[in-house]
Amino acid sequence: MEFVISHLVKSYGSKQVLKDVDFVFEEGRIYGLLGRNGSGKTTFFNCINSDIDYNSGSFYLRENRDSEQTMPLKPEDIGYIVSTPTVPEFMTGREFLKFFIEVHDEIKPDKTIDEYFEYMKIPEDDRDRLLKDYSHGTKNKMQMLLNIIAAPRLMLLDEPLTSLDVIIAEEMKNVIRSQKQGRITIFSTHLLDVAVDLCDEIVLLHNGRLEPIDKSNLGNDDFKEKIIEALRDQEDD
Amino acid sequence: MIKEFFRNLAKIIHLRSIIGYNGLVFALKKTPVIGKIIPDRLYSTTFLKVIYWIFHVIKEVFKLFVGKIIGLGTIYVASWILSNTYVDYGQAPGITQSDLYASFALLFFFLYALCGILINRPYFRCTTEKEYLVFMLRMNARKLNNTLFIYDLGKLVIGYFIAGLIAIVTGAPIWLWILIPVLAVLIKLSGTGFLAFCYRIKNKHHKLMRSSQASFTFRLLLVSVFIPIIVGAFVFIFVANGSFISLPVMLALAGVVSVLGILGYIELNRFDSGLHRRALHDNINIKEIEFNKKPDTTKNFKKIKANGSVNENKKGFEYLNALFMKRHGRMLVVKPIVFAVLAIILASLIIGGFITHYYKAFGAYDCTNMVIKNLWNMILWGRFEDSMEPFDPESTMSFFRWLIQTHMLLMMIPAAAADNSFKSTQAMFINCDNSLMTFSFFKQRDKIIKLFDIRLKQLIKISVIPSVAFALLANLFLFYTGGQDYPMHYLVNILISVLIGVIYNVTWLSTYYLFQPFTTSLNVKGGIYKVIQVVLGFVFSIVCLIPVNSIVLFGILLVFTVFFIFVMRKLVYKNAPRTWRIKS
Repeated sequence: MEFVISHLVKSYGSKQVLKDVDFVFEEGRIYGLLGRNGSGKTTFFNCINSDIDYNSGSFYLRENRDSEQTMPLKPEDIGYIVSTPTVPEFMTGREFLKFFIEVHDEIKPDKTIDEYFEYMKIPEDDRDRLLKDYSHGTKNKMQMLLNIIAAPRLMLLDEPLTSLDVIIAEEMKNVIRSQKQGRITIFSTHLLDVAVDLCDEIVLLHNGRLEPIDKSNLGNDDFKEKIIEALRDQEDD
Repeated sequence: MIKEFFRNLAKIIHLRSIIGYNGLVFALKKTPVIGKIIPDRLYSTTFLKVIYWIFHVIKEVFKLFVGKIIGLGTIYVASWILSNTYVDYGQAPGITQSDLYASFALLFFFLYALCGILINRPYFRCTTEKEYLVFMLRMNARKLNNTLFIYDLGKLVIGYFIAGLIAIVTGAPIWLWILIPVLAVLIKLSGTGFLAFCYRIKNKHHKLMRSSQASFTFRLLLVSVFIPIIVGAFVFIFVANGSFISLPVMLALAGVVSVLGILGYIELNRFDSGLHRRALHDNINIKEIEFNKKPDTTKNFKKIKANGSVNENKKGFEYLNALFMKRHGRMLVVKPIVFAVLAIILASLIIGGFITHYYKAFGAYDCTNMVIKNLWNMILWGRFEDSMEPFDPESTMSFFRWLIQTHMLLMMIPAAAADNSFKSTQAMFINCDNSLMTFSFFKQRDKIIKLFDIRLKQLIKISVIPSVAFALLANLFLFYTGGQDYPMHYLVNILISVLIGVIYNVTWLSTYYLFQPFTTSLNVKGGIYKVIQVVLGFVFSIVCLIPVNSIVLFGILLVFTVFFIFVMRKLVYKNAPRTWRIKS
């Protein structure tokens, strides 16, 4: 399966944030979407998630490069994880999970609610507390858990590790790695080290366009220098 | 030193103009419709900045003259009238009219200046411009305060000299024209110096360098109550008796003020830059900051406790809604219940008043008979009948009967007051939907409409309580003024009231789904939503005045409500996946 974006354009007034995004993402890989602050990473995700309207272009799913039949991207195909998650504050973690599983008719859960909590390492004493009292990290874990249960074909992660402590960040990275099979994962970040550590591919959101980076030397200092240079070239709007 | 003063003044005025101009453009850009067409480059348009500056200067000049001329001009005119009157009636032997004029003018001026220094104390007030200059641009706080102080004193002196022309024209001595501006400066120095002295003492005792609320209230009371009393007493006792304070006494007072002014100057000289900075920090204009900041209205919606559980049979969205109501019940139900209780209390008072009146007129036996008989009448025929005191169709109560017969649409007014749908949509958004909206799954049409239906039912259930209570109150009037016009009239009134409530529920809920106007701090964003609110308010206020017979109205409302719900559901089903989302 592939996720194809074709000539996507998004402007705010006269300011063109996404100029001509044209890219193909493949299943089973984690794509690190790297860009400077304000480069349009969140705008890009919001367009795909239909949170904002875009000016032109299209995106869809297809089985493979040779396949002529395309599939429109449906709401249930998308999982979106944001850096500052909002949760239904009046529910406990357990209640929200119960509700979430019940409304997803198509889900046949292979775990009990407590097993899901265990999987995400959400402490027992948090499970029956209101979500509004959860820490930032636990809210993030809840958000990730719900998206894992929903099993979307496309997972958008908008800087999900920002402001998490090292332990939770590491746990989240492991979960993301373990969930990459069978779906396309796009992970946005402005932290180069995180992208290099977690992602299989790195794509720069650069001057409103997506540019793949040759990752043959992923991890060595020259590679990092190359990315920094590329990002530095970005036009200051 | 003068060069430095002008340099600092230029910086302040420049910043003041930037804040003022940018604030104006920002406000315009936030205005619905207009804001969309205003380009960002307006912030850097020199031509418009110049125009703003011209208006700013005109405003400064206006402030300079108008305040001073009105204040001091009134003093001079009053002194002129009094001194003339005294001379005409021979009340001031041994004193010239100009000296008498000066005596009165000085007395009024001291009271006027006292009011000024008690209320207007700008020296240590930290406005936005001072905050930027001192705490962000690291300007010397003492230099800043002194520059602004000298600038204010300069304006004061110029304004007073110009206003003093009135004194010259009305026959005041020349020295008074010069003395009053000088005294004004000395009084300002003494008041500000005294404030600096108080702050220095507070700082020494590690207290905040600002006036307490109690002190402000006291000063306000002094200005608004005690000083007018003194002036009143002076006019009615002193002047009425032809008395006056002799000029040497007033000049001696002026001497004391001068000494206080010099002491104030010395105190201000001792007040170092660090103290100035701290005083400004402690006097940051909270009100100004709060005014500029959009209010965070989310706090009221965060008072939720994990109390209770819901029926295990409820699943999915039913479960979500049941939990939502369980945790928000008090927040959402209290207002409609209060209105329902008020209607019931009013109905009870009417019944109680009626029975008491009857009891006094005809005694306990007849009163009991009347109550029992009419209870039966109401159950069997819905009519009020009493042979001893039949209803008089000519009485003023007939007006209410007429209203209920033909103006049941007026029920829209109490229904609007008791309706809590808007607050319910706020609670839905802030505590639930802004989370659900991040999951694309919930933006599917069938999911959206399912939750919409459940919520609409819930809102209707809540609004039924006050609607029925209002209708019962109306029916009570109908009963006491002769009873129903046709069988089931009471029931029709109840249904009309309920349908009106339902229309409000559908309106608020569907506009929420179709325009989702709330930001994450619950401020309403979106010009169209605001316009729709205004238009609907206008339409409702016109419609509620239309006279319609109640049975006809019921038929119209029933058809309209069914049609309205059908159309709104269709619109929500079609558009909400696109419109029901978080405002970015």
